[in-house]
Amino acid sequence: MAIRQLPAIVVNRIAAGEVVERPAAAVKELVENAIDAGARRIEVTLRDGGASLILVSDDGDGMDAVEVALAVERHCTSKLPDDDLLHIRTLGFRGEALPSIGAVSRLSIVSRKRGAADAFKVAVEGGSKSAVEPAALSQGTRVEVRDLFYATPARLKFLKSVRAERDAAVDAVERLAMAYPSIAFTVVGDEEKPLVRMTAAEPDLAGKSADDIRRARLGAILGRDFADNALAIDAVREGFRLTGFAGLPILNRATARDQYLFVNGRPVRDKLLAGAVRGAYQDVLARDRHPMVVLFLDGPEADIDVNVHPAKAEVRFRDAALVRGLIVGALRNALAAAGHRASTTVAEQALAAARPMVWTQGGAALALNPGFAEAAAPYQAPLAQSPPAARAVEAPAPAATAHPLGAACAQLHETYIVAQTADGLVIVDQHAAHERLVYERMKAEIAATGVKRQILLIPEVVELDPADAARLAARATELAELGLVLEAFGPGAVVVREVPALLGETDVKGLARDLADEVAELGGALSLKERLEEVCGTIACHGSVRAGRRLNQAEMNALLRQMEATPHSGQCNHGRPTYVALSRAEIEKLFGRR
Amino acid sequence: MKLTIERAALLKALGHVQSVVERRNTIPILSNVLLRGADGKLALSATDMDIEMISAVPAQGAKTGGTTVPAHTLYDITRKLPEGAQVLLELGSDKGQMTLRSGRSTFTLACLPAEDYPVMSGSDLAHNFTISAADLKRLIDRTRFAISTEETRYYLNGIYLHAAKSNDVNMLRAVATDGHRLARMELPLPDGAAGMPGVIVPRKAVGELRKLLDEFDQDVAVSLSDTKIRFAFGDSTVLTSKLIDGTFPDYDRVIPTGNDKVLEVECKSFAAAVDRVSTISSEKSRAVKLAIERNSLTLSATSPENGTASEEIEVRYSASPIEIGFNSRYLLDITEQIEGEGAKFVMADAASPTLVRDATDGSALYVLMPMRV
Repeated sequence: MAIRQLPAIVVNRIAAGEVVERPAAAVKELVENAIDAGARRIEVTLRDGGASLILVSDDGDGMDAVEVALAVERHCTSKLPDDDLLHIRTLGFRGEALPSIGAVSRLSIVSRKRGAADAFKVAVEGGSKSAVEPAALSQGTRVEVRDLFYATPARLKFLKSVRAERDAAVDAVERLAMAYPSIAFTVVGDEEKPLVRMTAAEPDLAGKSADDIRRARLGAILGRDFADNALAIDAVREGFRLTGFAGLPILNRATARDQYLFVNGRPVRDKLLAGAVRGAYQDVLARDRHPMVVLFLDGPEADIDVNVHPAKAEVRFRDAALVRGLIVGALRNALAAAGHRASTTVAEQALAAARPMVWTQGGAALALNPGFAEAAAPYQAPLAQSPPAARAVEAPAPAATAHPLGAACAQLHETYIVAQTADGLVIVDQHAAHERLVYERMKAEIAATGVKRQILLIPEVVELDPADAARLAARATELAELGLVLEAFGPGAVVVREVPALLGETDVKGLARDLADEVAELGGALSLKERLEEVCGTIACHGSVRAGRRLNQAEMNALLRQMEATPHSGQCNHGRPTYVALSRAEIEKLFGRR
Repeated sequence: MKLTIERAALLKALGHVQSVVERRNTIPILSNVLLRGADGKLALSATDMDIEMISAVPAQGAKTGGTTVPAHTLYDITRKLPEGAQVLLELGSDKGQMTLRSGRSTFTLACLPAEDYPVMSGSDLAHNFTISAADLKRLIDRTRFAISTEETRYYLNGIYLHAAKSNDVNMLRAVATDGHRLARMELPLPDGAAGMPGVIVPRKAVGELRKLLDEFDQDVAVSLSDTKIRFAFGDSTVLTSKLIDGTFPDYDRVIPTGNDKVLEVECKSFAAAVDRVSTISSEKSRAVKLAIERNSLTLSATSPENGTASEEIEVRYSASPIEIGFNSRYLLDITEQIEGEGAKFVMADAASPTLVRDATDGSALYVLMPMRV
């Protein structure tokens, strides 16, 4: 067969395969256009999860008759005014979205340019364009996509359930909404009630800062838990500025789904973020738990290449190490500064668990509200017969309650310390708290003396592929600080000469391979540090006060004071909280006083 | 099969074989011990597919035959029988059960057929020699502590036994290392061992062998091929083990020859001092530092949490001063092996292997890698 140029319609369908892979991708492209057009209000309507109709209307700049006609042509865009791909300030730039969508659906666009007298309409059906005709619209642009993928039945078959497609579309809108709190977003599905309704907010004179607004918007999307338990971040390094919010370690998830990175307002999925977040949280969270973070990175356009992925889901940094360092540093600082702050989620859960009780004559507790609690009642031991589990100590000195964690009042079940603070009470898990203190002390000790290294009698040669070996060898200095001395050994191997004495007799080959994988994946050597910390963690666990140990008041107060002075003391090594704080207001709520 | 055995003899034989049997098995018959009666003897054997232990005891019986019964149960029953008792073992007619009678006690044990019991073939063991129990004991004791426990380097999980030339004398050498330290013990090569292949005897077999050596002090007949090794004690007890299929590293290269700084210490007091000083180290690694000057050694340890410790002891040393750090546990492991009064440390610098020897006995040699402290 002879080589020939493909017709435009086929080219557009091929492009559509990359850019528009599912309704959510079309929604994303259209909403991005609306944002680039300076809209303040964006409304999205989805029918059947977007498969039969996607309607995006905005109040942005709009287009005149000529522009409307051009908009659906390939490689036509208003977004590269000086043809400079190195300084992209808009979300879009490829001029591909509309023609791609038009190639696989029935697309119609109605738009009225700001200040113009008339609106115009153009329609594209399976790639063939109609003439521009006058239409009616008050302002902005209204894009209607009907029967997406009707022209590519194969793709149609790959669509998931209506619900799954709808959720993906909502997710795409929410992602963009996180970055643009000053734009109002509405998403309406098949139901009457809108799926998403977010009002616009601007910094105002009433003292609402940009931070508060962002926090409110993130709260609306990720839940109030996040808004209440996130630490604001603001760090600058060499032209890059990182803002956003880092969730407290106790607010953790089983997957890394709730980690968002926006680069110059563009939502991206980046391995760099995953690695940096893991690095920053590594000693406050168990390895299989993931924190929630939302980070906005703004930097010089010239140092960020956004033109690497058709759907623009990935970016490339000219200096990835710098960005990684910035993220890790900023997150660590924020976490360290948060010190021993306990999550309010925990307190709320505790409140929910507490239930009013009435006492019957036999001394057995009965729940006031019947239901599941009633069934549980017979199994509850009659408290009157058991010795009092709490040991009260004398009333605390008033001065002591001024400390953040207050003055110890009692020890419950020889496991929990109850302390009175200036405003409320604190319950401390003595083992978790002390474990963290011992662990932090060991870490400080290692930092002060350096990691002791056992020199190997028989150096271990680890064969890797040449790229991995080179990457590991390049990080030899960093690894040596952690106690692992290695050097390149021919093109496809490294030779390990010294290992951290703390690890004892260890699987050197396995360690080196894990490290090589991590350096390639995440850009950092985490597992060595993690292994050292695991050993420290085990030692800390054995060396700390256990549950069941009776503490006197002086001991309890000493523990509280140490917790206040130790960084990260709000959670144990596995991300569980070490204490719960209940404010007076919350206690009053329990008793119906509020 | 119908046999009568002295309880004491049965207990001793079972004691030998039952320790080979793992407590938990995925193959049921491996929990059992194989019993075979013939010619006025009862042969007991047990295996975990890597090691096979056979022990024979005299028995009076008419019919020959064999079966397998749960090893730990049989051992426990025998252990609890009164001293001096006679034990009657009788296999039922359907071979599914074995009855054990002693005095007024009767036990019925479930059996599995003897034909299904895995047996190690030992016909191809080409190299044979005899070694005294005392010599074998020394080969094991001096090197055993340095066997690696790290499973990924499986070829270090045992003692490397091989023939070598030392100053033109043929020697039988045992070597073990875990990558941090190395122990080497040698003895004049027994007759018949010349030409034997170098073999790695796995840790479990070393342990079982060492237990047997505590009870026997006659000569041990050793036969081996490049896949198996067999130790026979008289004609009653035989231990056969598979060997580790791997290449032991070329250890000669890590034994330093150019070291020139010779430190002589009184072994017992040195070990005691190391033990005392290391108390202060909080870490698992327990590093101690040796600062050596002319005829004086200062041991020290620091821990930011606990404080510091130091102790000075008198030594013989005339080379230039040196500071060197070691894992105290490794130092103690080695000094424990030295029977003579004095130990000799031969060093080069703080980052090179150090050679340790008994000042009077040259048969054992230890190499220890320093720690960076």
